[in-house]
Amino acid sequence: SAMAPGKKITARIKRTLPVKGPQAPTLRELMRWYCLNTNTHGCRRIVVSRGRLRRVIWILLTLSAVGLILWQCALLLKNYYSASVSVTVQFQKLPFPAVTICNINPYKYSAMKDYLSELDKETKKALETFYGFSEGKSKVRRSVDEWNSTGSDFFKQIPLLKFEDFSNTATDLRSGQKRKIEGDVFHKDSSIVNSGDSNDIIGFQLCDANNSSECALYTFSSGVNAIQEWYKLHYMNIMAQIPLETKEKLSYSADDLLLTCFFDGLSCDKRHFTRFHHPLHGNCYIFNSGENGTILSTSTAGSEYGLQVVLYIDEADYNPFLVTSTGAKIIVHDQNEYPFIEDIGTEIETAAATSIGMHFTRSRKLSKPYSDCTETGADIPVENLYNKSYSLQICLHSCFQKAMVDSCGCAQYAQPLPAGAEYCNYKKNPNWMYCYYKLHEKFVKEQLGCQQICKDACSFKEWELTTSIAQWPSTASEDWMLRVLSWDKGQKLNKKLNKTDLANLMVFYKDLNERSISENPTNTIVTLLSNFGGQLGLWMSCSVVCVIEIVEVFFIDSLSIVMRHQWQKAKKWWNNRKGDRSGKPPQAEDLERQGHDNPVCIDEDLPTFNTALRLPLPQDSPLPRTPPPNYSTLRLKTAFTEQLPDTLDVGQH
Amino acid sequence: MNLKKYFVRALHRLQKGPGYTYKELLVWYCDNTNTHGPKRIIKEGPKKKLIWFFLTLLFASLVFWQWGILINTYLSYNVTSSLSIGFKTMKFPAVTVCNANPFKYSEVKYLLTDLDRLIEAALERILQPTPGNSNESSSPPLNLELWYQIPLVLIDEHDKDNPVILDIFESNQTAAGNQNSADNQTAADDQITCSHPGSDNCTYRNFSSAAQAVTEWYVLQFTSILSKVPLQERIRMGYQAEDMILACLYGAEPCNYKNFTQIYHPDHGNCYIFNWGMDEEALNSSNPGAEFGLKLILDISQQDYIPYLSSAAGARLMLHQQKSFPFLKDQGIYAMAGTETSIGVLVDELERMGYPYSDCTMNGSDVPVKNLYSQYNTSYSIQACLRSCFQNDMIEICGCGHYMFPLPEGANYCNNDDNPGWAYCYSLLRSSIRHRQICIDSCKETCNDTQYKMTISMADWPSEASEDWIFHILSYERDMSTNVTLDRNGIIKLNIYFQEYNYRTISESASTTIVWLLSNLGGQFGFWMGGSVLCLIEFGEIIIDSLWITVINMISWCKGLKQKRAQARYPDAPPTVSELAEAHTNPGFQHEDAGALPRDEALPPEPGTPPPNYDSLRVQPVGVLGPDSDAE
Repeated sequence: SAMAPGKKITARIKRTLPVKGPQAPTLRELMRWYCLNTNTHGCRRIVVSRGRLRRVIWILLTLSAVGLILWQCALLLKNYYSASVSVTVQFQKLPFPAVTICNINPYKYSAMKDYLSELDKETKKALETFYGFSEGKSKVRRSVDEWNSTGSDFFKQIPLLKFEDFSNTATDLRSGQKRKIEGDVFHKDSSIVNSGDSNDIIGFQLCDANNSSECALYTFSSGVNAIQEWYKLHYMNIMAQIPLETKEKLSYSADDLLLTCFFDGLSCDKRHFTRFHHPLHGNCYIFNSGENGTILSTSTAGSEYGLQVVLYIDEADYNPFLVTSTGAKIIVHDQNEYPFIEDIGTEIETAAATSIGMHFTRSRKLSKPYSDCTETGADIPVENLYNKSYSLQICLHSCFQKAMVDSCGCAQYAQPLPAGAEYCNYKKNPNWMYCYYKLHEKFVKEQLGCQQICKDACSFKEWELTTSIAQWPSTASEDWMLRVLSWDKGQKLNKKLNKTDLANLMVFYKDLNERSISENPTNTIVTLLSNFGGQLGLWMSCSVVCVIEIVEVFFIDSLSIVMRHQWQKAKKWWNNRKGDRSGKPPQAEDLERQGHDNPVCIDEDLPTFNTALRLPLPQDSPLPRTPPPNYSTLRLKTAFTEQLPDTLDVGQH
Repeated sequence: MNLKKYFVRALHRLQKGPGYTYKELLVWYCDNTNTHGPKRIIKEGPKKKLIWFFLTLLFASLVFWQWGILINTYLSYNVTSSLSIGFKTMKFPAVTVCNANPFKYSEVKYLLTDLDRLIEAALERILQPTPGNSNESSSPPLNLELWYQIPLVLIDEHDKDNPVILDIFESNQTAAGNQNSADNQTAADDQITCSHPGSDNCTYRNFSSAAQAVTEWYVLQFTSILSKVPLQERIRMGYQAEDMILACLYGAEPCNYKNFTQIYHPDHGNCYIFNWGMDEEALNSSNPGAEFGLKLILDISQQDYIPYLSSAAGARLMLHQQKSFPFLKDQGIYAMAGTETSIGVLVDELERMGYPYSDCTMNGSDVPVKNLYSQYNTSYSIQACLRSCFQNDMIEICGCGHYMFPLPEGANYCNNDDNPGWAYCYSLLRSSIRHRQICIDSCKETCNDTQYKMTISMADWPSEASEDWIFHILSYERDMSTNVTLDRNGIIKLNIYFQEYNYRTISESASTTIVWLLSNLGGQFGFWMGGSVLCLIEFGEIIIDSLWITVINMISWCKGLKQKRAQARYPDAPPTVSELAEAHTNPGFQHEDAGALPRDEALPPEPGTPPPNYDSLRVQPVGVLGPDSDAE
């Protein structure tokens, strides 16, 4: 009556819903009870089978069924993260991609004269010395001394060397002296040409400026490659020092490049193009860049509804050492993508009409855990230096640039600048070329870890291009066409255009079928559970209920039986000890009670008189009850005949 | 009376269920059902009973939820795609070859004399704007009738608000008010199109380039002239098969121009289709590689091109399926003169399932657009549908058909004489986004989409060393003359062959079938509750039983009510009550499973011998209560 209301409630709950331990006195009984009452099919057979052989067979069968279930469910789990691919085709109005068009030659050679005249002079000199090539006319052979006096340090920076044979002696171009070469020799294209066969190898040496004994020698099987590589290194040095605004002026303007433009049956002009300065290709022009927020789309397929441009390629103004081919380069890409024109551009021939038919495919992969790709690139620890959406190329280039800035102290010219860095030039960073080459070597050999860090993008758009070429202008129309185009170009150009200065380009959708390839998870949690259910049901007619049963019986109940057993043992031991200490012999009643109530303890008990006499155990319950009739149906229903008085002990402890 | 007896017996038979009360029924059900949860509820102690009750409820609701998801998935009609790549013997694609130029200039010259002189004069004026040095007096007067229908004008937009429009042949300058283009080029050569000469209903089509404007203008005039020429005449003016196809080899077998089917294509004149499969069986190719493909040598005779019509020179070719119309402007590729073009083919097929899996059409019969290309006996394609749709619109709005597309019955092609405003109408319709969208919406793609992926490579041909004898032989074979009538600018070699892997087939199949649905439903039910369809039937049975119990209770209640009223009148009980009592005590009603009897309080008052009170044995908690209360 003095109890707190909370206690009252708990007491009431205890009274109405008493907590009891397992009702089986022994593990064996518990197992038997479980097997008879469980919902799974095998167990019951084990108990009810007569004869040892049958029982063993049933045990084996049940165990193998359990094994099969475990195996099959493991397979199901393993295959859970698999993806299936679905391809859908949709016919619809398609957004026209951005088309980036560049002249292969980055800057007008005539405008670059101021910057490159020194370098070109030296290159010509090198060509003359090594190959006896001269442009004739006004070229006067200058002596080595005279050359030195010009004060140029192109060759001091990176000496061009010619090897007479495959010995370690080389002729230095600058001094004309033979000298011994030390350091590592890198064959730029040794995999293609066995350099041992060729007698004349040309290459250049890059030395660590801080430690002049460390040099790397790059050799080429052909002088064409060697001279171009050598030229490019110096060219990048020079270009790195020119500010962007000047470079844009040095390159082609939209009026220079684009003669006519026609899109979707309507005339277009330079306002539809966005200028984009590419470090290696100069000014490029992006059609439909989406800069002003609108993206053009096509609702009719076919060549007349696409983009048609006539490009003016001024071949006479090409840099002879930097680029050796003529034409334009184009790339079809998404508005959010950076045009990697130097890597994946398509070249356009002059005096020809290039017709490019597109077919649009959109692909989508599932990200983790299905495959290792990235949705936005936000989870990649490489800063995106390009102001565009993530792609693998962007990541690799950014990663290299970062490594370059970290180890060489300046940024490589072909890639965008990270914050706070500036482009390499040998006035400020005399060591950068050696550093760059070493780093590039590492990058190619995947030692920088960039290839490991960078992941593919999960979704990408792709335009499959079918390129074909026709002669343009045709012989019949050449005359009037060139005249009218010259007029279009403006009166300032008095001469008639040459057809090798023109390229006609058509980019159009072949069809408006958008193919999208997407991955879908093959399994959902629903189908996985269904499959589990199917397996469980097939082999054992089991369900989650059975699993709960198993947990209940094998873990909770068995454990508590064992615990109770141990507890009683401990109690008995304690009582014995107490009895010993007090000198009182253990009372017969005690023993009787224990042995009586707890048949498990009997084996461990010392055989006393009482226990020895009382075998087998009586099956009557301590409570006075009606004896159960011996119906088999009833036997099933009764869990245990025995009720243990100490079940409450376990519950209370 | 007899009938009633039978009826009652039949009812008894039907109702031979597990009990008379709901509780009895429920306990019986829980005890005997094959689903796993309910059995536990009645077998465990009070606390566990509660747990099991909630568990069973939880599992049942889980099962229903998951079933909902599964059925939803099934009804979304997903498909799975399977991809197969390899080589197999396949039908060689139909190959259409055309000349980029539709007609021989020498043949059409008489039709174009006026037009050509007009454009030459116009170009003269454009390029040398200073008058005086033209020698107009010596030449016959120009036919300015063509000019007045669609004049070319120069628009000077130095002053953006007030552009100056300069007709090339009339030196009077007019300021155009309706000029809404903001072209800031110094001089733009533009085209003006009027719906009716002299009326105000005019539009200017602006071009930033004179070359474009002249070409577009010429094409408009040209189509107007050609539309009046009968088809036979047009075919005659085009390139003939024997002139164009110089050599043909398919695999090891020789073929010639007779193996090609002629088709008149409005853009490209006479086109020739190899292996179209219209009259004869389509050819198969069972080997990859150039040796087993089609080899062609064509002559496009570039000297005979119409100068102002097409500026690109070459052959136009296209690979397509048998019995389909070649849409060269969309899918065609060029082959350049003086080169050998090798085309490796991979057949990229997409086989889709129709409705309800995807919205595509099998043969175009369910598309609401009349297919005009069916007059060529060709199959439906989306390009055919779009063009038919445009042509139908054109006929409806402009009153005449466009020359580039086939005509429906009873319609005529547009020309300047009969339909003076057609060019205006056409240019409006062509730039109308609304009409395009209507066509896109009404046309459906085909379920089987076949594309021929081409790997194109080119080399110079013939080589300088072999040039002489090749030209000699080809000229001799064609013209039976020893003079060389061919040159580098006209000759084209083509190799078309299957690649090592010649097919890539993506085929769809339903990802969820009814079998899939059933096995997953079964799996879910089995996983959570160990149930099956039989369990559902059991449950249904129980519901029927409970309905019966309700019916019986209702009847007895009604009868009781009646009896009470009757009792009020007659104190004696009517015999119907005993009948009812008999129904209750009927041993047929007695449940077979004696052990499954519910507890005594659940039993109705029965007049028979009471069952032995075995409840303590069967249901645990009753017996357990004793020691519990003791402990308290």
